[in-house]
Amino acid sequence: MITLDGEQMPWKNGMTISFLLQEIADDHPYAVVKINGRYVSRPNFDTHVIPENAEIFLIPMIAGG
Amino acid sequence: MKTFNLKEIKSLTYQRPEIQKGYANQTLCVDITSADISIKPVSDQMKQIFVGGKGFDLWLLWHAVSGTTQWTDPENTICIASGPMGGTPSYPGSGKSIVTSLSPLTGSVIDSNVGGYFGPYLKFSGFDALEINGQASREVVVYIDGVSETVTIFEAGDLPEDAYETSSVLTQHFGNEKPRGISVVSTGPGAKNSLMGCLNVTWYDPKRKRARYKQAGRGGLGTVFAHKGIKAVVARWDTVSMNSNNPADKETLKVVAKSYSREIVELDPKQNEMAKIGTTHLVPIMNDFDLLPTNNFKFGQHKMASLIGKDVYKDFFDPGFDGCWMGCTVACSHGVKDFVPLTGPYKGVKVFVDGPEYETIAGCGSNLGIFDPFTIVEINFYCDAYGLDTISVGTTMAFAMECFEMGLINESHTGGLNLNFGNRDAALELLHQVARGKGFGMVLGQGVRQMKKLFTSEFGVDAQILEDIGMESKGLEFSEYMTKESLAQQGGYGMALKGPQHDEAWLIFLDMVHNYMPTFEQKAEALHWFPMFRTWFGLCGLCKLPWNDIVPEDNKDTEEPAKVIKHMTWYAQYFGAVTGRNVVPEDLITISEAVYNFQRIFNLKMGFGTRAQDTLPYRAMGPVTEEEYDSRQERYDSQLTEKHGIDIEGKSTAEKVAALRKLREEQYEKLKDAVYERRGWTQNGIPTVKTVKRLNIDFPAVLEILKKNGVTS
Repeated sequence: MITLDGEQMPWKNGMTISFLLQEIADDHPYAVVKINGRYVSRPNFDTHVIPENAEIFLIPMIAGG
Repeated sequence: MKTFNLKEIKSLTYQRPEIQKGYANQTLCVDITSADISIKPVSDQMKQIFVGGKGFDLWLLWHAVSGTTQWTDPENTICIASGPMGGTPSYPGSGKSIVTSLSPLTGSVIDSNVGGYFGPYLKFSGFDALEINGQASREVVVYIDGVSETVTIFEAGDLPEDAYETSSVLTQHFGNEKPRGISVVSTGPGAKNSLMGCLNVTWYDPKRKRARYKQAGRGGLGTVFAHKGIKAVVARWDTVSMNSNNPADKETLKVVAKSYSREIVELDPKQNEMAKIGTTHLVPIMNDFDLLPTNNFKFGQHKMASLIGKDVYKDFFDPGFDGCWMGCTVACSHGVKDFVPLTGPYKGVKVFVDGPEYETIAGCGSNLGIFDPFTIVEINFYCDAYGLDTISVGTTMAFAMECFEMGLINESHTGGLNLNFGNRDAALELLHQVARGKGFGMVLGQGVRQMKKLFTSEFGVDAQILEDIGMESKGLEFSEYMTKESLAQQGGYGMALKGPQHDEAWLIFLDMVHNYMPTFEQKAEALHWFPMFRTWFGLCGLCKLPWNDIVPEDNKDTEEPAKVIKHMTWYAQYFGAVTGRNVVPEDLITISEAVYNFQRIFNLKMGFGTRAQDTLPYRAMGPVTEEEYDSRQERYDSQLTEKHGIDIEGKSTAEKVAALRKLREEQYEKLKDAVYERRGWTQNGIPTVKTVKRLNIDFPAVLEILKKNGVTS
């Protein structure tokens, strides 16, 4: 299982962030996702593999400076 | 502790007015040439049009200077103001002061938004704004004591040279029994010996029992302060509560403040964790997006960036509450305890360092090719203590380093310093030289614009390459974001009123990542709306971070997520609850528009403020060198072929650099056309008479300046 924004959902071996966003049909252009307290940016969504039991927050980051 | 003397020169006792709906309804004027202290009323027109904060500063400064005033002239005035909401505890980010003056770097108006307790304490002491003009023959301390209702000018003798010690001893001296009631504004020797001096504004940290400080960094405000012979300005106040601003609707204020505070407490840990790591989270994110300035903005990425990001600094920061205003739940002003510098006057001494924030890490780290987090902390410490702006120091030093690596300057020019990127020892030595006004540091302290002139006139360097890689616009050094791939952010920097500082518009993600503004018109709309709303925070005494650095969870599903309408609605309610002016969110834009346009016309009054000044060095638009092009060849090649339909077969890198440059420079000019039209300006970048009439800023002096510049309708 993984926890996505506080909700539990099934984990799949080898699932990437891009895969996860497809699974939940969320096409918002997130800049950053936080996985177990670490930030992963959009350029790495296709390659970053989500570990089992991960706690994930989708960050709608628009601010910066 | 060193002994020092404060000898009273002049004192004024006054009757403190009751604050009414966020206003004291008077300002304080101190002429330090004649030691004259006077009080001026605030008119309804001032409140209605200029609101407070930066608006009041601009209005006071406008009347203090003529179009020929130089920053060194006694009539140049330093204005400091909070705003009607400034000083509200509980509502996050409500303790800001805005400092305004004529800038040594730009020659025109500069404004800088800073935390710390000064602005609110000034207001609660009875003054919506402070203006200081003149020039002291000996260093002075101005003390505004709202508790005893006295303003005093002291001659200052033997106070410590730097801001670190000065802040501390004056906090102890004036606030012996209640140090939390003191806020000190001061600078240091670097401000005296350079054009990029900053001001340090304190807040008292009861847990750590010390004065902490934030910086009004940009544009050389500290240099003006030091040049006037002001050693410090100190405000004293007593208790702060939700009643202190005497709000028009206290119940609504309570509700909206509570809602906002709660939301931040709930969402910040899930989102950016600013209460734990400040703005350091931006380092790895900017690096991933190729936006982290590296080696004088040549590149946006470096493999060692993780060494200077949040994972490192979260362990450096001393845990605890770090809010630069009371009750702020963003609380992002972190610091490093018991840091021991390896160089300079504090070598081997344990010090507390306020920071670093993202801008300092990028400017004094990656942009110098330095990926040692300790060196960055040391540069941060000394910049603050010396009274130097970390952004200008970083960007100027990066420029010098690139000139050195390109062979445009050499060790005969730098006094033997090897300024290759990444040379930590040289960077620290150069910083100490800037503060002392010695050696090559004296050159560096003049800023990029003056260095370009000097390198050409004295060292015979080709002016064009210096124009291309010297990262300044309007005389102000760039803050620390790469803009090559975001046309909107190029506009955000190039068309910013004071020069390239991101507080006016930060559109990189909206443009590059979210693609919210694919057309020129959409970019122009963003370059109208965002600078206006961001201006509003500075009118009210507020910090912009709570608005869009922590956003509601359902924000992405709203019609215009970039505007964070839920928060904007709260801000409109907050404004109404304090001032009694009932507004809807879009009214905040119109309110700001008046002040924004007034500032543009102020630039015009000072001989600037036209299209000719809204320029950028090409480095901000695209690759200057073949090395830069080749490092991102796939990106640039595909843009030339797919986006612009150019056949690049057989073209050399130099030819492709030139082709891309032509296209990007044309795009930027088109963007200016679109933005000026949206803002109601002429194609020369001047507000029209119709615009100033619509905004009720058609004062005779304004119309006269427009007429003088050929604008009559």
